[in-house]
Amino acid sequence: MTSEITEEYLEAVYDLTQEGDAARTNDIAERMRVSPASATEMVQRLSGEGYLSYERYKGVSLTEKGMAVAKKIKRKHRLVERFLVDVLGAKKGEFHDEACRLEHAISDESERRICQIVNNPRFCPDGDPIPECEVGDCHMCQDHPCLPLAEMREGQTGEITHLKCEDSNRIRRLISMGLVPGRSLMLEERTPMGGPLLVRLGESRVALAKDYADLVMVQPERSKKGRTKASGSTG
Amino acid sequence: MEIGLIGQPNAGKSALFTKLTGIGAISSNYPGTTVEFQEGSVVRHGVRLNFHDLPGTYSLTGISEDELVATTLLAEKQLEAVVAVADATRLEQSLVLIFQLIELGFKVVVALNQIDVARKRYALDAQHLEEILGVPVVPTVAITGEGVEDLVDMLVSGRSKASEFEVRYDRHIENLLEDLCVDPECMTGKFPKRGALLKLLEGNRFFAEQFSDAFKERVRQATVEFREDHGEDIEVHINRDRYGEAGRIANGVISNRVPPRKLSERVSDATLRPHTGIPILVAVLGGIFLVIVFVGGFVEGALISIYNAIVGDLFLKLADLIGGTLGGAIAEGINLAFQAILAIVIPYIMLFYLMLGMMEDSGYMPRVVVLLDGVMHRIGLHGRAVIPMIVGMGCNVPAILSTRVLESRRERLILAIVIVIAVPCSAQTAVIIGTVGNFAGAVWALGIYVILVAILLVLGRVLHRFLFKFEPTSLAMEIPELRWPQPRNVLWKTWVRTKDFFVVAFPILLVGSIVLEILMTYGVLQALVAPLAPFTEGFLGLPAITIVALIFGILRKEMALQMLVVLFGTANLALVMTPEQLFVFALIMATYLPCLSALLVLSREFGWKDSLKISLASVTFAFLLGGLVNALFQIF
Repeated sequence: MTSEITEEYLEAVYDLTQEGDAARTNDIAERMRVSPASATEMVQRLSGEGYLSYERYKGVSLTEKGMAVAKKIKRKHRLVERFLVDVLGAKKGEFHDEACRLEHAISDESERRICQIVNNPRFCPDGDPIPECEVGDCHMCQDHPCLPLAEMREGQTGEITHLKCEDSNRIRRLISMGLVPGRSLMLEERTPMGGPLLVRLGESRVALAKDYADLVMVQPERSKKGRTKASGSTG
Repeated sequence: MEIGLIGQPNAGKSALFTKLTGIGAISSNYPGTTVEFQEGSVVRHGVRLNFHDLPGTYSLTGISEDELVATTLLAEKQLEAVVAVADATRLEQSLVLIFQLIELGFKVVVALNQIDVARKRYALDAQHLEEILGVPVVPTVAITGEGVEDLVDMLVSGRSKASEFEVRYDRHIENLLEDLCVDPECMTGKFPKRGALLKLLEGNRFFAEQFSDAFKERVRQATVEFREDHGEDIEVHINRDRYGEAGRIANGVISNRVPPRKLSERVSDATLRPHTGIPILVAVLGGIFLVIVFVGGFVEGALISIYNAIVGDLFLKLADLIGGTLGGAIAEGINLAFQAILAIVIPYIMLFYLMLGMMEDSGYMPRVVVLLDGVMHRIGLHGRAVIPMIVGMGCNVPAILSTRVLESRRERLILAIVIVIAVPCSAQTAVIIGTVGNFAGAVWALGIYVILVAILLVLGRVLHRFLFKFEPTSLAMEIPELRWPQPRNVLWKTWVRTKDFFVVAFPILLVGSIVLEILMTYGVLQALVAPLAPFTEGFLGLPAITIVALIFGILRKEMALQMLVVLFGTANLALVMTPEQLFVFALIMATYLPCLSALLVLSREFGWKDSLKISLASVTFAFLLGGLVNALFQIF
């Protein structure tokens, strides 16, 4: 386990080396709000532990080992930001500091769960990219990928996670048909010749053209649970 | 007392309106039947209640034209109470609309309609619902009238009331509302702050009159910020919370769900699933066609012989009474006008509307839309365009009106053109069957329909690709369950829709008929025969005199057949025209503008410029097509 201070330093080097160049110790010191001397001392220590490579006159860069830790922490930070904003409704400016503290406290398992709740996002609320999940084939992503309604199997049930659309008229049409995040649905059938999809939504049944169905993102239910739920909701 | 009836499509507003006022509103088992709102007033217990039947709407955003009518009226009219017509079988969705009415401070009474159907599926605690919502909830069955008196009592005694009930939104939205509510420019006006503000945040322009432009801009800014923060529109979040709340309430008041009846569910599914639905659809449309041709033909024959038996030599006497050739013309004009009503309106048009009424009432129409949407999109039309096209097989006038189910003017215009040119109305069908079908054989008649379908397919494509450069909007539509048609409702609708033929069209027909007879008697129309002969004989390959019937047909299609008979002086057209000539004649009749009333409706809906263009285009097209087919006949 890496210490919080180690993680902070690696994160700082990660940010500073994003442009490609190595980081200067003076910049690291400024960012960490410490004296250049203590920064140098810390850099040397982390080099010794194999997280950083430090070349005189050139600067500091992350080793492979250091990069893995930095990416992981960055990912947690940005996922937490998304969680604070999307789920808890935090405002701009009020989530950053909190995320900075939480990023060190979150276990890898919790990270995956958060990732699932906020739908495996690619960007943080500020628009910076979220480093990809190192596991890649984490069971959360495998079991619960969210996919457009149009790509669901016939008879599959799921819950709407979000609407992927910029056009407010289309969003309004979807909302008015009851296609709103949080509701469960079942894809009953597709009609031929690119015709609409038949969707069971609560008590009603909706026919939805494919281009509309592409905009509705759904988290499919696990198959067994899905069956029982589906037969219950057709009543 | 001004009262609005509002609810989601197909919740039974129109049926309730009919029961409340005794005025018939047309209701169908598919969304969007009421395009214009109806008003009706009754005096109950000494209080005058003025009801407004609004088009069904899922939201108060006015996306489509019918929703726009409902939303505008709700926002602008001073309504003293609102009857929220909820569908007890789709409670969640109804609740979402009720929440918004309560938010906007309306005095609401909830009519929990179709409670009889809902009771078969689950127990619904209306009392509990009333307690939660804080407004009166009256279970009703609009079709039978159950609970309607209670509803009236509720309204008369002024027990409709604004409620304190609030949907709680997520923290960010609530904070935003709080911040904006303390803004000095956030005024309570016609609507309460919170409700109006929520509508504004949803990007809705209808309930924001009370706010200054500067404030509106501030709110707009807030929604933009929200979008940046969340990557999703605030509108989506607001509605997510509304549906969440609706789901919780519905679960709280509904208990003892019973699984649905197997048979009705299975039939309902069979009509919808493509592999069974498409054969059923073909059978249904074929059945309608056969009924119109055979039953319609039989009824026509019967009615005409009864008419002749009753009238006897009445018109001869009338002619003598007036005297001279003029007398003969007037008498014949009146006679033909009566015959047109008996030969066309009653057997064909009424019969068609009777069947259309059954299809609408049973909820079959949306299934047709779903099954044909894929095909319709390939020809550049919306799936919903199927309904006006089917209606157009009866008469183009209501068909042109019902193009309003589409969202954009362009789509409506394309559809109107297609209907005018390629969808034969019942009068056109009568001409096709009466000429080609009777005297040249069924295969020739079928040929005309094949050509019409081909025109339909090509025309839609060409119009939307080259002329309008436009992709049709996509389908998103709710599908009601199938149910047995209500005989009273079907008969009532048939009467409402054909009434105009008797009270409006008949006088026009009568006058027009007399005028035309006079023109004929004095040889005015015939005077055109000789100068136009090169065109008629040379280009169309028809006997010169048929041009009279063709010109006449522009005004009154259904009489063109009789004209032909009169012009040739024989009822056996096979003696005077070859099958090829009959085919060309019927094809021209089938493709050009149906009649004067269709033209009038077109200009009312699209303005006279566009309707003139459509008319000219259809007439030119019809003659060119006739010429082309004639040329092909000459070659082969």
